[in-house]
Amino acid sequence: MEKELIKFMLNGEPVEVYNDPASSLLHLLREKFSLTGTKEGCGEGECGACTVLLDDLAVNSCLIPAGKVNGRSVETIEALSKDGGVDPIQEAFVEKGAVQCGFCTPGMVMSARALLKQNPDPDPEEIKMAISGNLCRCTGYKQIEAAILLAAGKINSK
Amino acid sequence: MSYRIAKNLDSALEALKEKDPATRIVAGATDLFLQEMPARLVDVSSIEELTAIEEIDNRLVIGAAATHARAAASELIKGRAAALVEACLQVGSPQVRNIGTLGGNVVNAAPAADAAVALVALGAKAVLVDSSGVWREEAVARLYSSYNCSALDGCTELLVRFLIEPCGQGEGSAFRRFAARKALALPLANAAARLKLENGMIASLSLVAAPVGPAPTRLIGTEAAILGKPAGEETWLLAAETAAEEVEVRGSLLRCSAAYRRHLVGILTADALRAAARRAAVSQSGSLT
Repeated sequence: MEKELIKFMLNGEPVEVYNDPASSLLHLLREKFSLTGTKEGCGEGECGACTVLLDDLAVNSCLIPAGKVNGRSVETIEALSKDGGVDPIQEAFVEKGAVQCGFCTPGMVMSARALLKQNPDPDPEEIKMAISGNLCRCTGYKQIEAAILLAAGKINSK
Repeated sequence: MSYRIAKNLDSALEALKEKDPATRIVAGATDLFLQEMPARLVDVSSIEELTAIEEIDNRLVIGAAATHARAAASELIKGRAAALVEACLQVGSPQVRNIGTLGGNVVNAAPAADAAVALVALGAKAVLVDSSGVWREEAVARLYSSYNCSALDGCTELLVRFLIEPCGQGEGSAFRRFAARKALALPLANAAARLKLENGMIASLSLVAAPVGPAPTRLIGTEAAILGKPAGEETWLLAAETAAEEVEVRGSLLRCSAAYRRHLVGILTADALRAAARRAAVSQSGSLT
């Protein structure tokens, strides 16, 4: 396995790493940077558990070759609780009981973050669309939708 | 293994000059990444020329590396080739649409790729350039050689952009699909239509369905059956019947039976025609909504 130097912005900090450019961004994040908040579900772009932001857009990190992030900006779930506190989206998930087993939660939160960055005042249909690439097998979608709506309110009232 | 991000078209073509079978052009990589990865990849998804969506000399010009998400959000495409916006909105999931590109949708050569079906119905041309700098134009439907196999050689040739004649006054287009779920599901069948109305009659049309062959396939028999007929329910029902009879479909144990797929092609064809005709009528009355 040949390694290449990959330089990118990770959660706001410039980073450099020698890695196989054909391994996935998901494995790079989990194994080289110990950012294990990003989960591996299906590993083939079907479940959304591995969702991160690439240049502010939600993507499946399991489908991104590590070499692709060179020169770009990646944000993971860890970016949301940097100072020990929680983000309004996470707060809303807790308040609305939108977490059951929790495995899909980081991906759901990152999809919500991508949505709210682009559209701070989404309607329920836009919320459903934004999380349509995230599967929750505990079937907690209603609470998740309510949490994202609440999060938008929290962020907008700040 | 090497992964290069090409900054411009010239550097991408330079990388292809050696005609090395282990070197391959890649854009979103969402499909390729799940298969065996070639040893040397040249990523063209950051080349400005390949990502632009614009109108030049009354033609819609869409870079092959434009993502489905950007195409779906493009007001320019919405007003001139609505079928493509509808198709792009159905591909994969928001995450996949943010990365997957229109060019990849075609070159991956899945027979019922949503965006490709719309592109063929819209009469899109693909503009290609090879490693020696020779340019050519090809109808999108001709970029398929067999099931899941592109006629384009990703080791020597690059798909640069698509050209579409925009829908003018009296013209409309639409795309419809059916899948087991509303998101994250491949279509059991899909259909797209582009038509022009004159005095309420169908003056020209292009009708495409999939998967009914290796490539998105024109429904020539159905087109002939309804050309010149009034845009109305009787014609749409005739189209549904003719389309369902005309297509050669395969069933699959995983997805659905051939009989069900045939039925779906009929329904989706009629639905796409109905929606395209509605758009054509609106564009005739002067408003482009």
